[in-house]
Amino acid sequence: MYLPYFVTYIAAGLIIALAVFFWALRNGQFRDQQRARFLPLEADPEARGAAVRKSRFARLEIAALFFLVAAGLAASAAVVVFALINANRW
Amino acid sequence: MENQNVHIPASGYRTAKGFCLTSAFWMMVATFMGLLGATELIAPDITENIGWLVFGRVRPIHINLVLFGFVTPGLMAAAFYYIPRLLRTELYSETLGVGTVVLWNAALVGVVVSLAAGHTQGREYAELIWPLDVGVVVVFAMVFVNFVMTVATRKEPVLYVSVWYALAGVVLTTLTYCLGNIIWRPDTGALAGIPDAIILWFYGHNIFGLLLTPLSAGVAYYVIPRAVKAPLYSHTLSLVGFWALLVVYTHIGTHHLLQVPVPTWLKVISIVDSVAMVIPVMAFLINIWYTAKGRLGEIHADIGAKFVFTGTIMYFFVSIQGSMMALPQVQRVTHFNNWVVGHAHIGVLGFAGMIALGGLYYILPYLTGRPLYSRFLADFQYWMVLIGVSGFTVVLTIVGLIQGNAWLNGETVYRLLPPVHIYYVLRAALGLMIFSSALLGFYNITRSMFFEPGESS
Ligand code: HEM
Repeated sequence: MYLPYFVTYIAAGLIIALAVFFWALRNGQFRDQQRARFLPLEADPEARGAAVRKSRFARLEIAALFFLVAAGLAASAAVVVFALINANRW
Repeated sequence: MENQNVHIPASGYRTAKGFCLTSAFWMMVATFMGLLGATELIAPDITENIGWLVFGRVRPIHINLVLFGFVTPGLMAAAFYYIPRLLRTELYSETLGVGTVVLWNAALVGVVVSLAAGHTQGREYAELIWPLDVGVVVVFAMVFVNFVMTVATRKEPVLYVSVWYALAGVVLTTLTYCLGNIIWRPDTGALAGIPDAIILWFYGHNIFGLLLTPLSAGVAYYVIPRAVKAPLYSHTLSLVGFWALLVVYTHIGTHHLLQVPVPTWLKVISIVDSVAMVIPVMAFLINIWYTAKGRLGEIHADIGAKFVFTGTIMYFFVSIQGSMMALPQVQRVTHFNNWVVGHAHIGVLGFAGMIALGGLYYILPYLTGRPLYSRFLADFQYWMVLIGVSGFTVVLTIVGLIQGNAWLNGETVYRLLPPVHIYYVLRAALGLMIFSSALLGFYNITRSMFFEPGESS
């Protein structure tokens, strides 16, 4: 028998949703919508402009990683080319 | 180099950092499992005699890790950062948060071990055995307590839409997870017959609609206005979209069962509401896109925002496609074949995964007080994921159409295997790209977090 579970769930969902909605209504959550638009912009800690230290090691490391990835990509391409060449044999 | 301008609270954003690492790490494992599965589709004998690596076990490991290992923790990381900031307070308890991260990771290890060992409840997206189900519910409940208590101690009276979305995602998932996994029946985790399919897909769709979608929307609503340094186009519209999502999304699970003898009225509701999904989807997209209108340069300049914005474009595609797929005439062709797999990848990787990565890259410099280790690597990862997911879409859609058309005309499954083989090869190649990008991402993120960043590009 599954209906009691469905009904309980639907009831719980509805009650929670309605309760939260009416809480929001009374709490003034829908009132000052113009100010709400700006909320993410306030108190902006700017991390992006920070100075970046240059290092030769980091450059080498990136080059090595880049090489690895390029090898991975080349392997992918090789698989595709191989498959295309052999396509009619399968 | 330490940036003096960034205020890092005494708590040090430990929870957000923990979720960043969780996401980056499990993205590697999850995409590797995907790649392995794709390889097995090309060469089915490749893991012959290795019981714990057969396709039937690799696939659920892949999807569970993508959902609960990579995407959800990535989105959570951003939520644990933006909720306290938007509410002008500190997170209620970093200790509870760190405990959540630890338990979350323990559960993920359990997911891999149990599924590889063949312990499954055999229901899609609800495979996990009962003790793990309980673990998942507990971690979501822990997140819920932390979020709600942070809201309770807020200094900003108004809840910004991102906070609404994050809270709703967590509450609803805790509830639907219990219901969908039939948690009151530990032995089977299932009901019998058609009611089980209905309840499973109610839950299955809610995992995308009431977990990934709201958490992703929350991140986009936070990151995009900040990145373009402009207020949200309309907060009222965002709340209309939020409540519309709650009303509409909860009814559409049965569109996964249109070919199944479930009651017709339920199918009708699911189809109508699948089309009605265009309301919350467009409310969200119009809002985000109008906020960014004329400021695309700013988006391009910020790697986090670039990921997020691309995710919103993918959301447009996946949703329009989804509404079409819910029409019975269309689904007669697209159901049960790779078309749906294509759709799933645009949704989970292109939309939610992209936004998870974007949120992560956006908050990282704020968490550490230092710039990202390498913008170049992040950009490279962006392109690999983008090319990967677009490629998946093309390849899987073609395979889907070939299969759907042939099956509709009475062709047998095995006779179709040779013509689609080449597409499976392409798909594995694209999977290799995405897996490689996950390695780069993990490296970049751990370097950004633990070591002095150097100039790299
Ligand atoms: C308006 C929004 C959407 C609609 C109407 C929609 C519709 C659908 C439909 C009808 C199916 C079933 C196809 C079939 O079995 O024949 C489906 C499958 C799926 N959708 Fe969506 N979709 C939407 C958005 C999304 C989003 C945003 C995501 C991811 C975050 C997503 C992820 C998936 C996945 C993973 C499946 C595969 C389920 C399976 O394993 O069978 N969808 N969708």
